[in-house]
Amino acid sequence: MRFARLCFLQAIYNLKAYLRSARTVVLGIIMPVGLLVILSWVFANQGKIAAAAGYPISAITFYAGGLTAYGLMLGTFTGVMVAVVSAREAGWLKRFRASPMPPGSYLSGQILFNVLISMGLVVVMMAIATLIYGMHLRLISVAVMFCYTMLGVFCFTAIALAITRLVTTPEMGSSVGPFVTITLSFTSGVFLPPDLLPHWLISVSNYLPLEPLAQSMQTALAISSGTGIMYRPFIVLGIWGVVGFVAARWTFTWQPLRR
Amino acid sequence: MTTVIEVNNLTRRFGRLTAVDDVSFSVNEGEIFGLLGENGAGKTTTIEMLEGFQKPDKGSVIVLGENPRHGHREWRDRIGLVLQESDFDPLHSVKETLTLFASFFSHPRDVDETLEMVGLTDKAKERVGRLSGGQKRRVDVALGIVGRPQLLFLDEPTTGFDPVARREFWQVIDDLRTTGTSMVLTTHYMEEAERLCDRLAIMAQGQIVAEGTSSALISAFGATTIRFEVPRDVEMSTLCAAAGAHFIRRDNVATVLLGDELEGVLFRLLTWSQSTGTALRHLEVVRPTLNDVFLGATRSDE
Repeated sequence: MRFARLCFLQAIYNLKAYLRSARTVVLGIIMPVGLLVILSWVFANQGKIAAAAGYPISAITFYAGGLTAYGLMLGTFTGVMVAVVSAREAGWLKRFRASPMPPGSYLSGQILFNVLISMGLVVVMMAIATLIYGMHLRLISVAVMFCYTMLGVFCFTAIALAITRLVTTPEMGSSVGPFVTITLSFTSGVFLPPDLLPHWLISVSNYLPLEPLAQSMQTALAISSGTGIMYRPFIVLGIWGVVGFVAARWTFTWQPLRR
Repeated sequence: MTTVIEVNNLTRRFGRLTAVDDVSFSVNEGEIFGLLGENGAGKTTTIEMLEGFQKPDKGSVIVLGENPRHGHREWRDRIGLVLQESDFDPLHSVKETLTLFASFFSHPRDVDETLEMVGLTDKAKERVGRLSGGQKRRVDVALGIVGRPQLLFLDEPTTGFDPVARREFWQVIDDLRTTGTSMVLTTHYMEEAERLCDRLAIMAQGQIVAEGTSSALISAFGATTIRFEVPRDVEMSTLCAAAGAHFIRRDNVATVLLGDELEGVLFRLLTWSQSTGTALRHLEVVRPTLNDVFLGATRSDE
Protein backbone atom coordinates (compact mmCIF):
# COMPACT_ATOMS: atom_id res chain seq x y z
CA MET A 1 0.00 0.00 0.00
CA ARG A 2 2.75 2.40 1.01
CA PHE A 3 4.80 1.22 -1.96
CA ALA A 4 1.91 1.92 -4.32
CA ARG A 5 1.50 5.38 -2.83
CA LEU A 6 5.21 6.18 -3.27
CA CYS A 7 5.13 4.89 -6.83
CA PHE A 8 2.10 7.04 -7.56
CA LEU A 9 3.66 10.15 -5.97
CA GLN A 10 6.83 9.62 -8.01
CA ALA A 11 4.81 9.31 -11.22
CA ILE A 12 2.85 12.48 -10.45
CA TYR A 13 6.09 14.28 -9.64
CA ASN A 14 7.53 13.27 -13.03
CA LEU A 15 4.31 14.17 -14.79
CA LYS A 16 4.43 17.71 -13.40
CA ALA A 17 7.98 18.19 -14.68
CA TYR A 18 6.98 16.68 -18.03
CA LEU A 19 4.09 19.05 -18.55
CA ARG A 20 6.21 22.04 -17.53
CA SER A 21 9.02 21.28 -19.94
CA ALA A 22 8.57 22.27 -23.56
CA ARG A 23 11.33 19.89 -24.65
CA THR A 24 9.69 16.71 -23.41
CA VAL A 25 6.26 17.60 -24.75
CA VAL A 26 7.73 18.45 -28.16
CA LEU A 27 9.73 15.24 -28.24
CA GLY A 28 7.07 12.90 -26.94
CA ILE A 29 3.86 14.27 -28.46
CA ILE A 30 4.36 17.08 -30.98
CA MET A 31 6.99 15.29 -33.09
CA PRO A 32 5.08 12.02 -33.65
CA VAL A 33 1.85 13.96 -34.22
CA GLY A 34 3.57 16.28 -36.70
CA LEU A 35 5.07 13.34 -38.58
CA LEU A 36 1.70 11.59 -38.66
CA VAL A 37 0.04 14.65 -40.15
CA ILE A 38 2.76 15.20 -42.76
CA LEU A 39 3.55 11.64 -43.79
CA SER A 40 -0.08 10.54 -44.01
CA TRP A 41 -0.83 13.57 -46.15
CA VAL A 42 2.16 12.96 -48.45
CA PHE A 43 1.45 9.25 -48.89
CA ALA A 44 -2.33 9.49 -48.94
CA ASN A 45 -2.47 9.17 -52.72
CA GLN A 46 -0.06 6.24 -52.86
CA GLY A 47 -2.83 3.76 -52.26
CA LYS A 48 -2.13 0.79 -50.05
CA ILE A 49 1.24 0.32 -48.39
CA ALA A 50 2.80 -3.10 -48.27
CA ALA A 51 3.25 -3.52 -44.54
CA ALA A 52 5.26 -6.23 -42.87
CA ALA A 53 1.98 -7.79 -41.76
CA GLY A 54 1.93 -9.41 -45.18
CA TYR A 55 -1.03 -7.60 -46.63
CA PRO A 56 -1.34 -4.03 -47.85
CA ILE A 57 -2.82 -1.44 -45.48
CA SER A 58 -3.79 2.19 -45.95
CA ALA A 59 -1.19 4.93 -45.45
CA ILE A 60 -2.98 6.37 -42.45
CA THR A 61 -3.16 2.99 -40.68
CA PHE A 62 0.48 2.35 -41.50
CA TYR A 63 1.60 5.69 -40.07
CA ALA A 64 -0.84 5.82 -37.14
CA GLY A 65 0.44 2.45 -35.90
CA GLY A 66 4.12 2.91 -36.76
CA LEU A 67 4.47 6.47 -35.54
CA THR A 68 2.75 5.64 -32.26
CA ALA A 69 5.42 2.98 -31.70
CA TYR A 70 8.06 5.53 -32.74
CA GLY A 71 6.68 8.19 -30.36
CA LEU A 72 6.53 5.68 -27.55
CA MET A 73 10.15 4.67 -28.04
CA LEU A 74 11.32 8.26 -28.50
CA GLY A 75 9.51 9.45 -25.39
CA THR A 76 10.23 6.52 -23.10
CA PHE A 77 13.75 5.61 -24.19
CA THR A 78 14.98 9.20 -24.32
CA GLY A 79 12.84 10.33 -21.42
CA VAL A 80 14.00 7.66 -18.97
CA MET A 81 17.61 8.10 -20.00
CA VAL A 82 17.52 11.89 -19.59
CA ALA A 83 15.48 11.76 -16.38
CA VAL A 84 17.74 9.19 -14.72
CA VAL A 85 21.01 10.73 -15.88
CA SER A 86 20.09 14.27 -14.91
CA ALA A 87 18.76 13.13 -11.53
CA ARG A 88 21.92 11.10 -11.01
CA GLU A 89 24.36 13.84 -12.04
CA ALA A 90 22.53 16.38 -9.89
CA GLY A 91 23.02 14.17 -6.84
CA TRP A 92 19.29 13.64 -6.62
CA LEU A 93 19.51 9.85 -6.99
CA LYS A 94 22.21 9.78 -4.35
CA ARG A 95 19.75 11.47 -2.01
CA PHE A 96 17.06 8.97 -2.91
CA ARG A 97 19.44 6.12 -2.23
CA ALA A 98 20.35 7.53 1.17
CA SER A 99 16.69 7.99 2.10
CA PRO A 100 14.39 5.16 3.21
CA MET A 101 12.74 5.20 -0.23
CA PRO A 102 12.38 1.64 -1.60
CA PRO A 103 14.41 1.66 -4.86
CA GLY A 104 11.63 -0.22 -6.62
CA SER A 105 9.19 2.63 -6.07
CA TYR A 106 11.43 4.97 -8.05
CA LEU A 107 11.57 2.50 -10.91
CA SER A 108 7.85 1.71 -10.86
CA GLY A 109 7.15 5.42 -10.66
CA GLN A 110 9.16 5.93 -13.86
CA ILE A 111 7.33 3.09 -15.60
CA LEU A 112 3.89 4.26 -14.43
CA PHE A 113 4.65 7.81 -15.57
CA ASN A 114 5.77 6.65 -19.01
CA VAL A 115 2.75 4.36 -19.36
CA LEU A 116 0.51 7.34 -18.60
CA ILE A 117 2.10 9.70 -21.13
CA SER A 118 2.36 6.94 -23.76
CA MET A 119 -1.33 6.20 -23.35
CA GLY A 120 -1.90 9.90 -23.80
CA LEU A 121 0.11 9.67 -27.02
CA VAL A 122 -2.02 6.74 -28.22
CA VAL A 123 -5.19 8.72 -27.56
CA VAL A 124 -3.90 11.80 -29.40
CA MET A 125 -2.63 9.78 -32.38
CA MET A 126 -5.85 7.80 -32.69
CA ALA A 127 -7.91 10.99 -32.43
CA ILE A 128 -5.97 12.64 -35.28
CA ALA A 129 -6.05 9.54 -37.45
CA THR A 130 -9.80 9.12 -37.10
CA LEU A 131 -10.91 12.76 -37.01
CA ILE A 132 -8.61 14.19 -39.71
CA TYR A 133 -7.86 11.21 -41.91
CA GLY A 134 -11.04 9.23 -41.36
CA MET A 135 -9.30 6.07 -40.19
CA HIS A 136 -11.75 3.45 -39.06
CA LEU A 137 -11.04 2.68 -35.40
CA ARG A 138 -12.59 -0.07 -33.30
CA LEU A 139 -12.64 0.20 -29.54
CA ILE A 140 -10.99 -3.19 -29.17
CA SER A 141 -8.03 -1.88 -31.20
CA VAL A 142 -7.50 0.90 -28.64
CA ALA A 143 -7.45 -1.69 -25.86
CA VAL A 144 -4.89 -3.76 -27.79
CA MET A 145 -2.82 -0.61 -28.42
CA PHE A 146 -2.81 0.11 -24.66
CA CYS A 147 -1.67 -3.43 -24.04
CA TYR A 148 1.28 -3.00 -26.47
CA THR A 149 1.96 0.40 -24.88
CA MET A 150 2.63 -1.20 -21.52
CA LEU A 151 4.85 -3.79 -23.15
CA GLY A 152 6.78 -1.11 -25.03
CA VAL A 153 7.26 1.10 -21.97
CA PHE A 154 8.50 -1.89 -19.97
CA CYS A 155 11.01 -2.78 -22.69
CA PHE A 156 12.34 0.70 -23.48
CA THR A 157 12.57 1.69 -19.81
CA ALA A 158 14.71 -1.38 -19.19
CA ILE A 159 17.03 -0.72 -22.14
CA ALA A 160 17.36 2.95 -21.18
CA LEU A 161 18.24 2.03 -17.59
CA ALA A 162 20.78 -0.53 -18.74
CA ILE A 163 22.76 2.03 -20.73
CA THR A 164 22.60 4.96 -18.28
CA ARG A 165 26.04 3.90 -17.05
CA LEU A 166 27.45 4.87 -20.47
CA VAL A 167 25.57 8.15 -20.63
CA THR A 168 27.52 10.72 -18.63
CA THR A 169 25.38 13.82 -19.20
CA PRO A 170 21.69 14.53 -19.79
CA GLU A 171 22.67 16.29 -23.04
CA MET A 172 24.26 13.08 -24.26
CA GLY A 173 21.05 11.22 -23.43
CA SER A 174 18.90 13.68 -25.30
CA SER A 175 20.95 13.21 -28.46
CA VAL A 176 21.56 9.45 -28.20
CA GLY A 177 17.84 8.72 -27.61
CA PRO A 178 16.45 10.41 -30.74
CA PHE A 179 19.41 9.22 -32.84
CA VAL A 180 18.81 5.56 -32.00
CA THR A 181 15.04 5.91 -32.31
CA ILE A 182 15.14 7.66 -35.69
CA THR A 183 17.72 5.25 -37.09
CA LEU A 184 15.66 2.27 -36.02
CA SER A 185 12.51 3.88 -37.38
CA PHE A 186 13.95 3.84 -40.90
CA THR A 187 14.72 0.13 -40.69
CA SER A 188 11.59 -0.91 -38.83
CA GLY A 189 8.78 0.00 -41.23
CA VAL A 190 7.87 3.22 -39.47
CA PHE A 191 8.87 6.02 -41.85
CA LEU A 192 9.26 3.89 -44.98
CA PRO A 193 7.26 0.90 -46.17
CA PRO A 194 9.34 -2.21 -45.44
CA ASP A 195 9.28 -3.40 -49.06
CA LEU A 196 11.63 -0.53 -49.92
CA LEU A 197 14.30 -1.93 -47.63
CA PRO A 198 16.84 -4.71 -48.30
CA HIS A 199 15.70 -8.05 -47.01
CA TRP A 200 18.62 -8.57 -44.63
CA LEU A 201 17.90 -5.26 -42.89
CA ILE A 202 14.32 -6.33 -42.21
CA SER A 203 15.59 -9.62 -40.84
CA VAL A 204 17.88 -7.83 -38.40
CA SER A 205 15.14 -5.39 -37.41
CA ASN A 206 12.82 -8.29 -36.61
CA TYR A 207 14.97 -8.99 -33.56
CA LEU A 208 15.21 -5.34 -32.43
CA PRO A 209 12.39 -3.96 -30.29
CA LEU A 210 10.91 -1.25 -32.51
CA GLU A 211 9.95 -3.35 -35.55
CA PRO A 212 7.76 -5.89 -33.71
CA LEU A 213 6.08 -3.09 -31.76
CA ALA A 214 5.39 -0.99 -34.87
CA GLN A 215 4.15 -3.96 -36.85
CA SER A 216 1.85 -5.19 -34.10
CA MET A 217 0.37 -1.72 -33.65
CA GLN A 218 -0.20 -1.38 -37.41
CA THR A 219 -1.84 -4.79 -37.46
CA ALA A 220 -4.07 -3.97 -34.49
CA LEU A 221 -5.39 -0.94 -36.36
CA ALA A 222 -5.63 -2.65 -39.76
CA ILE A 223 -7.60 -5.79 -39.14
CA SER A 224 -11.35 -5.61 -39.32
CA SER A 225 -12.26 -8.39 -36.93
CA GLY A 226 -10.79 -9.96 -33.80
CA THR A 227 -8.07 -8.45 -31.62
CA GLY A 228 -5.18 -9.07 -34.02
CA ILE A 229 -2.96 -9.57 -31.00
CA MET A 230 0.46 -11.00 -31.90
CA TYR A 231 2.75 -13.04 -29.75
CA ARG A 232 5.99 -12.01 -31.48
CA PRO A 233 6.31 -8.53 -29.83
CA PHE A 234 5.79 -10.12 -26.42
CA ILE A 235 8.68 -12.48 -27.06
CA VAL A 236 11.08 -9.96 -28.62
CA LEU A 237 10.29 -6.98 -26.39
CA GLY A 238 9.94 -9.25 -23.38
CA ILE A 239 13.43 -10.64 -23.86
CA TRP A 240 14.91 -7.17 -24.49
CA GLY A 241 13.12 -5.90 -21.38
CA VAL A 242 14.22 -8.72 -19.10
CA VAL A 243 17.80 -8.58 -20.39
CA GLY A 244 17.71 -4.80 -19.94
CA PHE A 245 16.59 -5.02 -16.33
CA VAL A 246 19.12 -7.72 -15.52
CA ALA A 247 21.88 -5.60 -17.10
CA ALA A 248 20.62 -2.51 -15.26
CA ARG A 249 20.89 -4.35 -11.95
CA TRP A 250 24.60 -4.74 -12.62
CA THR A 251 25.39 -1.43 -14.24
CA PHE A 252 23.07 1.01 -12.51
CA THR A 253 24.66 3.57 -10.22
CA TRP A 254 23.00 6.05 -7.89
CA GLN A 255 26.04 8.25 -7.53
CA PRO A 256 27.09 10.95 -10.00
CA LEU A 257 29.67 9.73 -12.50
CA ARG A 258 31.30 13.13 -12.75
CA ARG A 259 32.45 14.60 -9.51
CA MET B 1 26.07 8.59 27.43
CA THR B 2 25.11 6.78 24.23
CA THR B 3 27.33 7.11 21.22
CA VAL B 4 25.68 7.55 17.84
CA ILE B 5 28.91 7.19 15.85
CA GLU B 6 31.94 5.06 16.59
CA VAL B 7 34.84 5.25 14.14
CA ASN B 8 38.00 3.18 14.58
CA ASN B 9 41.19 3.27 12.50
CA LEU B 10 39.29 4.34 9.43
CA THR B 11 41.40 4.35 6.25
CA ARG B 12 40.47 5.08 2.65
CA ARG B 13 42.88 5.11 -0.28
CA PHE B 14 42.42 6.34 -3.83
CA GLY B 15 45.29 4.81 -5.77
CA ARG B 16 48.45 6.06 -4.12
CA LEU B 17 46.70 8.82 -2.22
CA THR B 18 45.58 8.01 1.32
CA ALA B 19 42.55 10.30 1.62
CA VAL B 20 41.68 9.18 5.14
CA ASP B 21 44.50 7.84 7.24
CA ASP B 22 43.78 5.87 10.42
CA VAL B 23 41.07 8.13 11.77
CA SER B 24 39.24 7.35 15.03
CA PHE B 25 36.59 9.35 16.87
CA SER B 26 33.16 9.02 18.39
CA VAL B 27 30.09 11.21 18.55
CA ASN B 28 27.68 11.21 21.48
CA GLU B 29 23.95 11.49 21.33
CA GLY B 30 22.71 15.07 21.04
CA GLU B 31 26.17 16.34 20.24
CA ILE B 32 27.27 18.54 17.34
CA PHE B 33 30.58 17.21 16.14
CA GLY B 34 32.66 19.23 13.71
CA LEU B 35 35.20 18.03 11.17
CA LEU B 36 37.46 20.89 10.17
CA GLY B 37 40.06 21.03 7.50
CA GLU B 38 41.15 22.60 4.28
CA ASN B 39 39.89 21.35 0.93
CA GLY B 40 41.30 17.90 0.34
CA ALA B 41 41.92 17.18 4.03
CA GLY B 42 39.65 14.13 3.90
CA LYS B 43 36.48 15.53 5.48
CA THR B 44 34.07 14.60 2.73
CA THR B 45 35.59 11.14 2.25
CA THR B 46 35.19 10.55 5.98
CA ILE B 47 31.59 11.74 6.04
CA GLU B 48 30.76 9.67 2.95
CA MET B 49 32.01 6.56 4.72
CA LEU B 50 29.76 7.44 7.65
CA GLU B 51 26.84 7.85 5.26
CA GLY B 52 27.57 4.53 3.57
CA PHE B 53 28.48 5.94 0.14
CA GLN B 54 32.09 4.82 0.32
CA LYS B 55 33.62 1.63 1.59
CA PRO B 56 36.54 1.93 4.01
CA ASP B 57 39.73 0.11 3.02
CA LYS B 58 40.48 -0.48 6.67
CA GLY B 59 38.91 0.17 10.04
CA SER B 60 35.34 0.15 11.25
CA VAL B 61 32.41 2.53 11.25
CA ILE B 62 29.31 2.09 13.37
CA VAL B 63 26.54 4.63 12.89
CA LEU B 64 23.39 4.30 15.02
CA GLY B 65 24.45 0.76 15.84
CA GLU B 66 24.92 -0.37 12.24
CA ASN B 67 27.54 -0.62 9.55
CA PRO B 68 26.48 2.13 7.10
CA ARG B 69 27.28 -0.14 4.14
CA HIS B 70 24.49 -2.46 5.28
CA GLY B 71 22.16 0.29 6.42
CA HIS B 72 18.64 -0.81 5.56
CA ARG B 73 15.50 1.25 5.32
CA GLU B 74 14.77 1.54 9.05
CA TRP B 75 18.31 2.81 9.55
CA ARG B 76 18.04 5.37 6.74
CA ASP B 77 14.75 6.53 8.22
CA ARG B 78 16.71 7.86 11.22
CA ILE B 79 19.38 9.69 9.20
CA GLY B 80 19.35 13.02 7.41
CA LEU B 81 21.87 14.22 4.85
CA VAL B 82 22.89 17.62 3.62
CA LEU B 83 25.27 16.73 0.81
CA GLN B 84 28.11 18.96 -0.27
CA GLU B 85 26.89 19.52 -3.78
CA SER B 86 23.46 18.86 -5.05
CA ASP B 87 20.99 20.18 -7.49
CA PHE B 88 17.29 19.64 -7.95
CA ASP B 89 14.81 19.30 -10.71
CA PRO B 90 14.42 23.00 -11.56
CA LEU B 91 10.84 22.55 -12.75
CA HIS B 92 9.36 21.70 -9.37
CA SER B 93 8.42 24.11 -6.63
CA VAL B 94 10.17 24.10 -3.29
CA LYS B 95 7.12 22.60 -1.63
CA GLU B 96 6.67 19.87 -4.26
CA THR B 97 10.31 18.87 -3.92
CA LEU B 98 10.03 18.68 -0.17
CA THR B 99 6.68 16.87 -0.22
CA LEU B 100 8.02 14.09 -2.42
CA PHE B 101 11.03 13.64 -0.19
CA ALA B 102 8.95 13.73 3.00
CA SER B 103 6.86 10.83 1.66
CA PHE B 104 9.86 8.49 1.91
CA PHE B 105 10.08 8.77 5.71
CA SER B 106 7.91 7.06 8.27
CA HIS B 107 7.50 10.08 10.59
CA PRO B 108 8.22 13.14 8.47
CA ARG B 109 8.13 16.65 9.81
CA ASP B 110 5.28 18.76 8.49
CA VAL B 111 6.40 20.30 5.18
CA ASP B 112 5.22 23.82 6.04
CA GLU B 113 6.86 23.59 9.45
CA THR B 114 10.12 22.50 7.80
CA LEU B 115 9.95 25.38 5.32
CA GLU B 116 9.48 27.77 8.19
CA MET B 117 12.46 26.32 10.05
CA VAL B 118 14.77 27.05 7.12
CA GLY B 119 13.11 30.37 6.33
CA LEU B 120 11.64 29.42 2.96
CA THR B 121 7.95 29.86 3.75
CA ASP B 122 7.51 32.70 1.27
CA LYS B 123 9.37 30.72 -1.42
CA ALA B 124 7.21 27.58 -1.04
CA LYS B 125 5.58 27.96 -4.45
CA GLU B 126 8.69 29.18 -6.25
CA ARG B 127 10.30 26.78 -8.71
CA VAL B 128 13.60 25.48 -7.40
CA GLY B 129 15.36 26.55 -10.60
CA ARG B 130 14.60 30.19 -9.83
CA LEU B 131 16.13 30.21 -6.35
CA SER B 132 19.44 31.85 -5.46
CA GLY B 133 22.39 29.73 -4.38
CA GLY B 134 21.78 30.41 -0.70
CA GLN B 135 18.10 29.58 -1.01
CA LYS B 136 18.90 26.30 -2.78
CA ARG B 137 21.20 25.41 0.08
CA ARG B 138 18.29 25.95 2.45
CA VAL B 139 16.25 23.53 0.38
CA ASP B 140 19.12 21.09 0.93
CA VAL B 141 18.91 21.61 4.65
CA ALA B 142 15.12 21.25 4.53
CA LEU B 143 15.53 17.90 2.72
CA GLY B 144 18.01 16.85 5.39
CA ILE B 145 15.67 17.54 8.29
CA VAL B 146 12.24 16.78 6.83
CA GLY B 147 12.49 13.12 7.89
CA ARG B 148 12.95 14.15 11.54
CA PRO B 149 16.37 12.50 11.68
CA GLN B 150 18.03 11.36 14.86
CA LEU B 151 21.39 12.00 13.24
CA LEU B 152 22.07 14.69 10.65
CA PHE B 153 25.14 14.94 8.41
CA LEU B 154 25.98 18.39 7.07
CA ASP B 155 28.79 18.54 4.53
CA GLU B 156 29.95 22.15 4.24
CA PRO B 157 26.43 23.47 4.62
CA THR B 158 27.25 27.19 4.42
CA THR B 159 29.86 27.30 1.66
CA GLY B 160 28.94 30.20 -0.58
CA PHE B 161 26.64 31.86 1.98
CA ASP B 162 26.84 35.56 2.65
CA PRO B 163 27.37 36.55 6.32
CA VAL B 164 23.67 37.20 6.94
CA ALA B 165 22.61 33.87 5.43
CA ARG B 166 25.27 32.11 7.48
CA ARG B 167 24.00 33.64 10.70
CA GLU B 168 20.46 32.61 9.83
CA PHE B 169 21.64 29.09 9.12
CA TRP B 170 23.33 28.92 12.51
CA GLN B 171 19.97 29.75 14.06
CA VAL B 172 18.45 26.76 12.25
CA ILE B 173 21.14 24.50 13.71
CA ASP B 174 20.57 25.96 17.17
CA ASP B 175 16.87 25.20 16.85
CA LEU B 176 17.65 21.63 15.81
CA ARG B 177 20.04 21.27 18.72
CA THR B 178 17.18 21.88 21.13
CA THR B 179 15.28 18.95 19.56
CA GLY B 180 18.17 16.66 20.55
CA THR B 181 19.32 15.92 16.98
CA SER B 182 22.91 14.69 16.83
CA MET B 183 24.92 16.28 14.06
CA VAL B 184 28.16 15.84 12.19
CA LEU B 185 29.25 18.97 10.39
CA THR B 186 32.17 19.61 8.10
CA THR B 187 33.30 23.14 7.47
CA HIS B 188 36.33 25.22 6.70
CA TYR B 189 34.96 28.24 8.52
CA MET B 190 36.54 28.38 11.94
CA GLU B 191 33.99 30.85 13.21
CA GLU B 192 31.24 28.43 12.30
CA ALA B 193 32.87 25.49 14.05
CA GLU B 194 33.51 27.56 17.15
CA ARG B 195 29.97 28.84 17.19
CA LEU B 196 28.17 25.54 16.54
CA CYS B 197 30.23 22.53 17.52
CA ASP B 198 30.30 20.97 20.96
CA ARG B 199 33.40 19.07 19.98
CA LEU B 200 35.55 19.09 16.91
CA ALA B 201 38.38 17.36 15.14
CA ILE B 202 40.85 19.12 12.87
CA MET B 203 41.87 17.11 9.84
CA ALA B 204 44.97 17.58 7.71
CA GLN B 205 46.18 15.21 5.01
CA GLY B 206 43.70 12.55 6.01
CA GLN B 207 44.59 12.51 9.69
CA ILE B 208 43.03 14.01 12.78
CA VAL B 209 45.69 16.37 14.09
CA ALA B 210 43.73 17.78 17.02
CA GLU B 211 40.47 16.94 18.73
CA GLY B 212 38.46 18.38 21.60
CA THR B 213 36.06 21.17 22.53
CA SER B 214 36.86 24.46 20.86
CA SER B 215 37.92 26.06 24.15
CA ALA B 216 40.16 23.10 25.00
CA LEU B 217 41.76 23.27 21.58
CA ILE B 218 42.28 26.99 21.91
CA SER B 219 44.02 26.74 25.24
CA ALA B 220 46.09 23.78 24.07
CA PHE B 221 47.21 25.13 20.73
CA GLY B 222 46.70 28.86 20.81
CA ALA B 223 48.34 31.64 22.80
CA THR B 224 47.32 35.13 23.77
CA THR B 225 49.29 37.77 21.89
CA ILE B 226 49.88 41.49 22.16
CA ARG B 227 49.70 43.58 19.01
CA PHE B 228 50.66 47.19 18.38
CA GLU B 229 52.43 49.43 15.92
CA VAL B 230 55.77 51.07 16.45
CA PRO B 231 57.93 53.04 14.02
CA ARG B 232 60.00 51.00 11.60
CA ASP B 233 63.32 52.00 13.16
CA VAL B 234 62.58 50.43 16.54
CA GLU B 235 64.82 47.41 17.10
CA MET B 236 62.71 44.38 17.91
CA SER B 237 65.39 42.62 19.89
CA THR B 238 65.78 45.62 22.22
CA LEU B 239 62.04 45.92 22.65
CA CYS B 240 61.57 42.23 23.40
CA ALA B 241 64.38 42.25 25.90
CA ALA B 242 62.86 45.26 27.65
CA ALA B 243 59.41 43.70 27.77
CA GLY B 244 60.59 40.16 28.55
CA ALA B 245 58.54 38.70 25.70
CA HIS B 246 58.99 36.47 22.66
CA PHE B 247 58.97 38.12 19.30
CA ILE B 248 56.57 36.49 16.90
CA ARG B 249 56.09 38.47 13.75
CA ARG B 250 56.46 41.92 12.31
CA ASP B 251 54.43 42.63 9.25
CA ASN B 252 53.44 45.92 7.59
CA VAL B 253 51.52 47.43 10.45
CA ALA B 254 51.53 45.23 13.48
CA THR B 255 54.03 43.61 15.72
CA VAL B 256 53.01 40.61 17.69
CA LEU B 257 54.53 39.63 20.98
CA LEU B 258 53.88 36.58 22.99
CA GLY B 259 53.95 36.92 26.75
CA ASP B 260 54.29 34.05 29.15
CA GLU B 261 52.74 36.09 31.89
CA LEU B 262 50.61 38.70 30.23
CA GLU B 263 50.32 41.30 33.00
CA GLY B 264 54.09 41.53 33.50
CA VAL B 265 54.81 41.82 29.79
CA LEU B 266 52.17 44.53 29.38
CA PHE B 267 53.50 46.47 32.34
CA ARG B 268 57.10 46.35 31.12
CA LEU B 269 56.01 47.22 27.61
CA LEU B 270 54.14 50.31 28.79
CA THR B 271 57.09 51.33 30.98
CA TRP B 272 59.41 51.01 27.97
CA SER B 273 57.01 53.09 25.92
CA GLN B 274 56.93 55.84 28.58
CA SER B 275 60.66 55.95 29.14
CA THR B 276 61.64 55.96 25.47
CA GLY B 277 58.76 58.16 24.40
CA THR B 278 57.73 55.62 21.72
CA ALA B 279 54.01 55.51 21.02
CA LEU B 280 52.36 52.05 20.88
CA ARG B 281 49.65 52.73 18.41
CA HIS B 282 46.54 50.45 18.27
CA LEU B 283 47.70 48.47 21.28
CA GLU B 284 45.56 45.41 21.88
CA VAL B 285 45.57 42.06 23.64
CA VAL B 286 44.34 39.36 21.29
CA ARG B 287 42.85 36.12 22.50
CA PRO B 288 43.63 33.17 20.27
CA THR B 289 40.92 32.02 17.92
CA LEU B 290 40.19 28.63 16.53
CA ASN B 291 41.75 29.94 13.35
CA ASP B 292 45.13 30.16 15.10
CA VAL B 293 44.61 26.66 16.44
CA PHE B 294 43.77 25.47 12.99
CA LEU B 295 46.75 27.12 11.35
CA GLY B 296 49.03 25.91 14.15
CA ALA B 297 47.70 22.37 14.09
CA THR B 298 47.75 21.95 10.32
CA ARG B 299 51.14 23.66 9.92
CA SER B 300 52.87 21.49 12.51
CA ASP B 301 51.80 18.50 10.46
CA GLU B 302 53.65 19.59 7.35
